[in-house]
Amino acid sequence: MARVDLRHIEKGYPGLKALDDVDLVIESGEFFTLLGPSGCGKTTLLRTIAGFIQHDSGEVLVAGERIDQMPAHKRNMGMVYQDYAIFPHLSVADNVAFGLKTRGRPKPEIAERVQRALELVQLGNHGKRLPHELSGGQQQRVALARAMVISPQILLMDEPLSNLDAKLRVELREDIRDLQRSLAITTIYVTHDQEEALAISDRICVMQSGRVHQVASPQKIYAEPATLFVASFIGAMNIMPVGSQEGALAAADLPERLRARGPMTLAIRPEDVIVGQSTNGNALAVEGAVEKVTFAGREAYAHVRCANGLHLQAHLYRPSAGQLALVGESVRLRLPLDRLHAFDAADGKRVELPA
Amino acid sequence: MNSVRRVDVWTWAMVLGFAVIAVLLVWPLWSIVAASFIDNRTGVFTLNNYVSVMTRPLYQTALINSLIVSLGGMAGALALGVPLAILTTRYQIVGRDLIGTLSVLALVSPPFIGAYAWIMMLGQNGWMRHGLAAIGIELPSIYGFFGILLVFSLKFFPFVYLMTASSLNTINASVEEAAEGLGAGTIRRLFTVTLPLVLPALSSAALLVFVLSLADFGTPSIVGGRVRVLATTAYNLFTNEMGGNPGLASTTSMVLIVISLVVVALQRWAVRRRNVSGSLLRRPQPRVLKPFASVMAHLVCYAIVLAASLPSLVVVYTSLRKTSGPVFQPGFGIESYTRVMHEVPHVIANSFSYSTVSVMMIVILGTLIGYVLARRDSPLAGTLDSALMIPYIVPGVVMGVGFVVTFNVKPLEITGTATILVLMLMIRRLPYSVRSSASILKQIKGSIEEAAISLGASPAQAFLKVTLPLMLPGIIAGALMSFITAINELSSSLILYVGRTMTMPVRIYLSVLDGEFGTAAALSTILLVTSGAAVYAVFRVTGRKESAFV
Repeated sequence: MARVDLRHIEKGYPGLKALDDVDLVIESGEFFTLLGPSGCGKTTLLRTIAGFIQHDSGEVLVAGERIDQMPAHKRNMGMVYQDYAIFPHLSVADNVAFGLKTRGRPKPEIAERVQRALELVQLGNHGKRLPHELSGGQQQRVALARAMVISPQILLMDEPLSNLDAKLRVELREDIRDLQRSLAITTIYVTHDQEEALAISDRICVMQSGRVHQVASPQKIYAEPATLFVASFIGAMNIMPVGSQEGALAAADLPERLRARGPMTLAIRPEDVIVGQSTNGNALAVEGAVEKVTFAGREAYAHVRCANGLHLQAHLYRPSAGQLALVGESVRLRLPLDRLHAFDAADGKRVELPA
Repeated sequence: MNSVRRVDVWTWAMVLGFAVIAVLLVWPLWSIVAASFIDNRTGVFTLNNYVSVMTRPLYQTALINSLIVSLGGMAGALALGVPLAILTTRYQIVGRDLIGTLSVLALVSPPFIGAYAWIMMLGQNGWMRHGLAAIGIELPSIYGFFGILLVFSLKFFPFVYLMTASSLNTINASVEEAAEGLGAGTIRRLFTVTLPLVLPALSSAALLVFVLSLADFGTPSIVGGRVRVLATTAYNLFTNEMGGNPGLASTTSMVLIVISLVVVALQRWAVRRRNVSGSLLRRPQPRVLKPFASVMAHLVCYAIVLAASLPSLVVVYTSLRKTSGPVFQPGFGIESYTRVMHEVPHVIANSFSYSTVSVMMIVILGTLIGYVLARRDSPLAGTLDSALMIPYIVPGVVMGVGFVVTFNVKPLEITGTATILVLMLMIRRLPYSVRSSASILKQIKGSIEEAAISLGASPAQAFLKVTLPLMLPGIIAGALMSFITAINELSSSLILYVGRTMTMPVRIYLSVLDGEFGTAAALSTILLVTSGAAVYAVFRVTGRKESAFV
């Protein structure tokens, strides 16, 4: 359990900036997620912290102590991999005991701690098994026990759920979260799955092309994306450039005070788009034709093509038969002004709209 | 994968790898290159050696003959190997394992044994020649192209068979079914879908056979008669002590190297352009043939592998014939064995001890260097990898010449010692071991080792506790195969041996030239049995994978 300070970390490969001035603080006991598309630098950052990649400049501090010049095997970090990385020639118990043995702990202590760790991941009576006798989910539980049993200062997880099927993924992610809370281990978790990140994290760091876009709680990231990239990457979002080009919102449709701000891109979540009449007077109104309605059980999405080729999605909660039969009809969409997100057209940074 | 650049155990492994390759590969080869440009008498730079090789009929003929036997050997191996591969993977053939085993045994038995066994069968007094003549079949003389191509075809087809069959087995069954569903019949399917898909394996095998045929010294030397090829020419130029011509021997060697180089480059280029690997979802299932077709298919398969096994059977049989001196008598006896035990016990001991020592070095070096190549992605590792291609393309005769001209002066004056033979066996086989270690490692996920390191094991500990145990079956199989090639090595040993460092293949070769077929057969049988035992051990370790041998 320890706080992690990442100070101005830089890492370049020929023709590629993998980490661009990454400056972060991860609090002690926090569940911190690095989120971004593949190639964004999240795994590079994790492996830099683990000591498997040597960064070009910057400092990594754990509990106030600089560790970035320390060899990986002395850093006391537990690591969990996407492909489990279970030692196939060792039994489950020997896998978990591996880290304790390298630390030269006495045998009775090892046996006791291994058993306790296996029980924590609900594999208490699987110690004698060989890895190939276990399912993928069970193997990942072994990996989890193996990483935690050494009481690491930090637990690092590199897309640990990506190889599992959807149902198992949700189940194991809850278990990981519960376990992390009860042991209060500082955890850095890498994923490209935004839903997983929102569900599991205390805070999320959204990255793209080696740069940090936003570090905030899941709620804040969802409600107030700091950049256009975060807005488009997290959750569903209607992106609306403002201008006269194809697929854009006409500037003339905007109220005067929004037009005054200069070139920008507006965005709104499908669940904030109101289909049909509304009492909310303080909203943009756009007309369009419903192209299709995608039904997903509890909800549905109406795809609406508006003037100038602008394409909007509206979320329909518990859709009625009438709503599902809207295809081909013209509808009026209302976009409440207080639900609009605005981003600078040049640098993509969030712009606070005047109330 | 990118790893932290720190001086650790693997840095030293890389340094060691470079040192070994520099001293044992690059230096000897450089000596040959240098010698080929130097006038023997005056010691000054000259292109005369190349002019001679290009213009004098002796060398022109050798070059043409080399190309003929290499292309012919390749064609023969394809003609036998491809049908065998298709029949055994696509149709129900009884005794498929037996066919595989016989092919592997043919593969590991040295070609010069095949050469003289065929002389015993098809020579002027051969029983098979007489048998065939009795039913009206007259064969050309075994000495010459006929003999060389016969031996090459039957010796090298297993490469084609095993590599093609293993590729055929990884074609998704649905692909061929889809072709059938689209209306392609058996033959059309074979030529439009199946063969194009195995072309990378097929071309690799074909060109491998070409290079091996080009490099082979023993076969043309024993059954070549008046047909001289580059390898035998280089050997004669070099060993002809009085009129020895190191300049021309080196130049002939250079021609051999260049041809191999071109062919290997062609192969790599051809394979690079066709990367047709797909995911194997469903293995192809062999079909049942109609009765007549089935009988024919079985006949073809068994005729091929039995013809390939025939030399070994003849050798074993010959070794058990009663002899009196070099003359065979009616009946059976163990005189040949008692003779070799009395006359050349040191030769047998040499073969086993040199091979064992060189294999131990190969295993250690090969594993370390293989690790560096597989896990460290750096320009230096790439250079190491390229340097290791050299032994693939340099014939044994040439390596032997290089060793002699390099290591006959201080501080490394080791000609005439056992050390030079061991080092030669080691460097000739090392690249195969490096490649196989690297490919085994590529199947072991890097994350496994990282996990060990993150759990507190140092890089060396992680390797010893996690990676090495996982590599072990592959390493043992590789070691056994290295042992087989080492104990059967003829061409380079023939150049490097002196009386007390003679090995079994050398002794067999000399016995055959002297017409002492009994002792040759006894020694050959010892080699065959040893190789067979090693094959059995590989099967035990790998769980019967014939493809492990190619």
